[in-house]
Amino acid sequence: MLRYIGRRLLQLIPVIILISILIFTIVKATPGDPVGSNLDPRATAEQRQAERARLGLDKPIPVQYWNWITRSVQGDFGDSYIYKRPVIEVIPDFIKNSMILNIFVYIFAFLVSIPIGIITAVRQYSKTDNFFSAFSIIGISMPTFFFGLLLIYFFGVKNQWFPISGMETVGKNIEGLAHVKDVLNHIALPGIVLIIANLASLVRYTRTSMLEVINQDYIRTARSKGLEEKVVIYKHAFRNALIPIITIVGFTIPSLFSGAVMLETVFNWPGIGRVLVDAVNLRDYNLLMALNMFFAILTLLGNLLADIGYALVDPRIRVD
Amino acid sequence: MNNLLKVKDLRTYFYTDDGVVKAVDGVEFQVKFGETIGIVGESGCGKSITAMSLIRLIQSPPGKIVSGNIIFDGEDLTQLSDEEIRSIRGNDISMIFQEPMTSLNPVFTSGYQIEEILELHQKLDEDQARKRAIEMIKLIGIPNAERIVDEYPHQLSGGMRQRVMIAMALACQPKMLIADEPTTALDVTIQAQILELMNELKNKMNTSIMLITHDLGVIAEMADHVIVMYSGKVVEDAPIIELFENPRHPYTIGLMASMPSLAKEGQRLETIPGVVPNPLYLPKGCYFHPRCKFATDECKKLQPELREIAPGHKSACFRAEEVTR
Amino acid sequence: MTERNTGIKPDDKIDQEIGEAEQEILTPWKLVRRKFLKRKPSVVALIILAFIILVVALAPIISPYDPNELDMTNTKQPPSKEHILGTDELGRDNFSRVLYGGRVALQVGIFAVIIQVIVGSIIGGIAGYYGGWIDNILMRITEVFMSFPFLPLVITISAVVGVSIPAEHKMYLVMVILGLLSWPGLARMVRGQILSLREQEFVLAAKALGIKNSRIIVRHLIPNTVGYIVVNATLGVASAILQESALSFLGLGVAPPVPTWGNLIQYARDIYNLQHRPWLWIPPGLCIFATVMCINLIGDGLRDAIDPKS
Repeated sequence: MLRYIGRRLLQLIPVIILISILIFTIVKATPGDPVGSNLDPRATAEQRQAERARLGLDKPIPVQYWNWITRSVQGDFGDSYIYKRPVIEVIPDFIKNSMILNIFVYIFAFLVSIPIGIITAVRQYSKTDNFFSAFSIIGISMPTFFFGLLLIYFFGVKNQWFPISGMETVGKNIEGLAHVKDVLNHIALPGIVLIIANLASLVRYTRTSMLEVINQDYIRTARSKGLEEKVVIYKHAFRNALIPIITIVGFTIPSLFSGAVMLETVFNWPGIGRVLVDAVNLRDYNLLMALNMFFAILTLLGNLLADIGYALVDPRIRVD
Repeated sequence: MNNLLKVKDLRTYFYTDDGVVKAVDGVEFQVKFGETIGIVGESGCGKSITAMSLIRLIQSPPGKIVSGNIIFDGEDLTQLSDEEIRSIRGNDISMIFQEPMTSLNPVFTSGYQIEEILELHQKLDEDQARKRAIEMIKLIGIPNAERIVDEYPHQLSGGMRQRVMIAMALACQPKMLIADEPTTALDVTIQAQILELMNELKNKMNTSIMLITHDLGVIAEMADHVIVMYSGKVVEDAPIIELFENPRHPYTIGLMASMPSLAKEGQRLETIPGVVPNPLYLPKGCYFHPRCKFATDECKKLQPELREIAPGHKSACFRAEEVTR
Repeated sequence: MTERNTGIKPDDKIDQEIGEAEQEILTPWKLVRRKFLKRKPSVVALIILAFIILVVALAPIISPYDPNELDMTNTKQPPSKEHILGTDELGRDNFSRVLYGGRVALQVGIFAVIIQVIVGSIIGGIAGYYGGWIDNILMRITEVFMSFPFLPLVITISAVVGVSIPAEHKMYLVMVILGLLSWPGLARMVRGQILSLREQEFVLAAKALGIKNSRIIVRHLIPNTVGYIVVNATLGVASAILQESALSFLGLGVAPPVPTWGNLIQYARDIYNLQHRPWLWIPPGLCIFATVMCINLIGDGLRDAIDPKS
């Protein structure tokens, strides 16, 4: 198994290189002078030239790429234009904030949606199933940002029950439990949107996977053995449905961060998704490239994790 | 009372969006202790549904056993609670299916799938169950049983998997084994081995076998008694030799004439014209009449009942006495 | 009939119900249609979607004003008889903008999926049919595309490339980006389908008869895969519309003055509009929701009707 993981990690390297080239090329393709936005507009042509030389922008693109990638590997992504600090120092805080918003939501969504998915599959076309099918289709069809705005409208401004922006109340220096409560208050609205959106798609996914398994021949065999329906469903069927579900868990990991881009923007949550939008809007190229690499590596690791999970639960996958 | 199983007027209907499918419609037959009974018919004639109905494995909805008695070893299976029927499944009546490739659960080892049934019905603990599973695998003629118990179904060939299915089905020494097309998906040489194995084990354990197949050749080799089904009904019911020597239903005759090994020498192979009717739109009268060369006006209007035409020989044909090969 | 004892009795009514009705011969597509029509939610969704499409298609006739016509004397009006969804800060009629916004949103969704289907089925089809090293290379490429972080990359590309594209052409950029980044799933599915079809007897028979590869692909493989493609494409339109609306909401997709449902919701980014002029941003949001939901329901209905397993 370790060797399998090692080999898969090695296989990631060329993919990462490809993605990095792509991201670099896209960002470099930007028309306009990247120095322009960094520098005082009154700078003279000579000053600009000097700045370009300092940043290595006068060199051919492949050389620039080489410089960027070698520095990046050592953790040096350059300085952020927005924050005037090294990118590598800027990012961790935002990652932390995104995790605060997302991690409980996802754990909750998985814990709740899997049993619901199983029950709705087992009782296909029952009232429960119809209710959750309707819930799912509504949940996956609602644009999350619009849903967030509706919540802000109804519960943030019409009734001022919850704060609508940021992660904590600005200017109030509170500590301990009161601070936790303040943060939870801020999580409430975006949290509801995230939970509903994730529940909707996960319930749908679990239900489909489970339905596919329930109609298999080996489930009939399990029943013909005289096993209790509970054992048939939760052991024989679920062990098989788990295989696709594990894939989704893996795929979900990157969306822990990227999936919240819209909501972090709407609720002004100081997370990595909102920073991405800021970096795009303010043309903070170093930050933008670093963030894209972060998301790409995260996606790859998520896929890898899915594959490892797959190999663990599915004996048909040979790892050696 | 030498009947292990007596099925009376069994009706299993499926309530689909397009209408009611009478998959099994008034089926009657008996199985004696230690006997192999063959059920023959083209696909869609209700053979498998009959078998599934016996251990109440009909998916409901849309399916339902709407009437009938299934007297097994003195008990009416239609009257049992879910829990009671479960204690019969896999224990007193077990079943093997057509598709060995998909009938075993891919995520459990073959040994585990045998052990599970032993732990459930015979209350064996893990070690005992494992020992017994290895014994069973040896019994079904797989040499390196100790290795096979820990292998997953995908590591085994089709024939091996069907053997594991048989080991699983016979683990609790059931009184009856239902084998639904057990060899259809296998190579011819493997087919013969599996049939041989079933015969051998049947004699060892005195198990009755209900063998479902569309292959009269298999029937000829295995069965003591044969039931021929058409469109959810039994059309002929006779001891094996009687049936082959003296078939009394045009459908049975047609089936035999279309089999190379059973056709008379020098005779051209015949086919039964037409196709099995759609169960939603069954013809009036005898369901077989549109395909029957003996059909009369009576056959188009009335449905013949299954009646005894000779001792132990029943046929559902108005002209049973006249028709012959 | 023979004696019946105990408990369960047959239902005699059934015997009458089964008449001697002539059996209709059903082509696969007739069968799909029949199964689809049995799913009420999907049928209702189809009717509503047809209505939505009709209304936005007829926008030039229905809409009371030119969506870009400025009227500085009539800015920021609440809903009234003349302007049922009010006017914006430049006096443009919001109702007309919602109608025209629907045209853009639907066009982007549909064309993005057309690109996705073309790229996805060609790559998947070639990989599945030829197998071997071709399959290997194409699937590797597909994997690379699949490991792209979708939303961040879409945001980055449309921001970076979008700079040099005039506002009225940005919708084409969005189509292309969404189309070119979302084909891998479809390619994988098509490949899987073709791989399993390739081994089936009718294809082997066609090959044995010496029928050309291209003909086998066109005559035998594509018709047998088309059902799955249709289902995926339908659901794909729904997600493309959602993605376009998200991008446009962020200001990175279709850009004003061209209206689209997503960028109309941008009004809500201003807290005053959010709170006091909900008629500006709630209607386009509901339009996205209704359209996407209808498409999802239709997709589900099609899947149930086409997939023989269900």
